[in-house]
Formats: sequence, C-alpha cells, structure tokens
Amino acid sequence: MNKEETLIKAGKEYFYSGNDEFNKERYNSAVVLYFKALISFSDLYVLQKTGDTPSSHNDRFNITKRKFPEVYNLLDKDFPFYQSSYVQIMNKELAEVIKDDAKIVAEKTNTKL
Amino acid sequence: MMQKLWLKKPILNYSKDVLDIVQFGSSVEEGKTPNDLDIAVIFNKIPLKEQLNQAQEIKKQLEKLVEISVHINSFDLYGLFDSSNFAKESILFSGKSIIHGDDFAKRFGFSPKIQIYYSLEKLKKKDKIRFNYMLNGRGGEYGLLRGHKGELLKPGLIEINPQSESIFVNSIKGYKVDFRVKRVLIG
Repeated sequence: MNKEETLIKAGKEYFYSGNDEFNKERYNSAVVLYFKALISFSDLYVLQKTGDTPSSHNDRFNITKRKFPEVYNLLDKDFPFYQSSYVQIMNKELAEVIKDDAKIVAEKTNTKL
Repeated sequence: MMQKLWLKKPILNYSKDVLDIVQFGSSVEEGKTPNDLDIAVIFNKIPLKEQLNQAQEIKKQLEKLVEISVHINSFDLYGLFDSSNFAKESILFSGKSIIHGDDFAKRFGFSPKIQIYYSLEKLKKKDKIRFNYMLNGRGGEYGLLRGHKGELLKPGLIEINPQSESIFVNSIKGYKVDFRVKRVLIG
C-alpha cells in the first residue's frame, strides 16, 4: 500500500469510527476521531499537491499555513479541541463541526465518504 | 508589551455577535513572561460553527499584533459559565476586555480585587521595618503598593489588582510571614 492509499484508508477508518462514536453519543471520542480523519485528509491533500507528507504536527501546520491556508484555517481552528478532549467534555454540536471540516478536506482530495 | 495589549484597545473587526474579547491567563499577569496569548471571545447565542469561524478571524488579526502564539477560546454566556469550562474563573476574575480596555468583570458590575491578609508578629523588628519599606517605599522610592496601584486597607490587610498577585505573593513569601489570599468581587 502506498502513502496515498494508506492515508485514504486511515482517514476513512477514523471518519467512520467517528460516526460510530457519534451515534453512541460519545462525543469526546467522536471529536478525536473526526480530527484524526481531518489530519489524514489534510496530509493526503498536501501529498497530492506537493508529493510529500508532513512529518509532525509542527511541519503540518507550517506547510499548510504557507501553501494551503484554507486547510490550515480548519486545522488551526479545530486543533485546540483535540488537545483539550482529554480534560473537557465535548458536545454534539462541536463533533458535527469537526465532522463537517473533515468532509470539506476529504472532498478537496476527491475522497468519497 | 504583551501585558498591555488589553490597555491599548487595538482596533479589531468583529461582528455584533461578539459581546467581548477577553485577554486572560499569564499574559495579563505582571512579572510573567508568557509563552502564548490566551484569548476568550464571548458571543451571543449563535451556532458553534459560526462562533469558531468568527473567533478564527479575530485570531488572525491578533496574530498580527503579537509575536507569541495566540490561543483562542470561544464561548457564549452559557458555555462561559458551564462547569466544564476550567478557564471560567481566570476569565471572569482576571480577564481583561480588549474591547473596553478594562476588567472583564466590570461588564457584570464587579471590580475584581485580591485581598492579602498578613501578620508580622513572628518577624524581628528590623524585618518588620523592611517589610513595610517593601510595601510603602522609602526615601521617595515607590513601594509595591504605589507601584502596582494597591492599597493598605488596614494594618495586616492590603488590596491589590489581580494581575499583581504573583508579584506581591512572591515578595511576601520572601519574608516568611503568615499570610492568606482572598479573591473578592466588589460590587
């Protein structure tokens, strides 16, 4: 499996697992999984556009900020919730927001969910 | 200086959905070197998605004004007071309104103050004198109270602004006196 296939598989798996948790009203888990899906699809987008993938969160933020601000904006907006998901209670509305953002980036990569 | 950002009342573009933009955390504390700028954007009751998008636009504007990273949190009033909001006390008590250039608590009609009760009983006479010099100054030099707009309410009790708490507490600790700190909202 190459990098692109791996990212598509991982992104879809996180997204659908997010749906499972969402449907069970486990919103903290759903937020984490939707954000991970968002990351996979963002990396896939970077790979499709540049031929390479980020090696860390810092690298990811730097590359997207410089080259793909519309993706950076979503990552930067949602990252604090991923970080605080260990210590704060997440709600349905927030999970829906991050789910939508993962979908937006998936669409940019032509990945069907 | 970072600590003065709220005092500068920078001109920011934001919608009428924004009730206030509050600087809080270590960046408003005197004597601290913050690693980041904590900001809470307080909204009217609007959808979360809209809150986050608007907060992101405000963050971009703030990032142009400071050299450290900006951490933005968005709340409506229900979210601000929610028990799961661990930053609630810091925002309400020590937060500074960037829109109004004043304590955020004043939006609710309260003035936040720190009251420090202390006893010099166990100190030697020379240390009592040094302690009083520290608070009140000596020979024309400002003491902590004048320098940080604090007030001696009565012997053994001073009242200061929240942002000066660590400066006073650290200075008092140096004298090994018994003291206790009380946070009050004065109406």
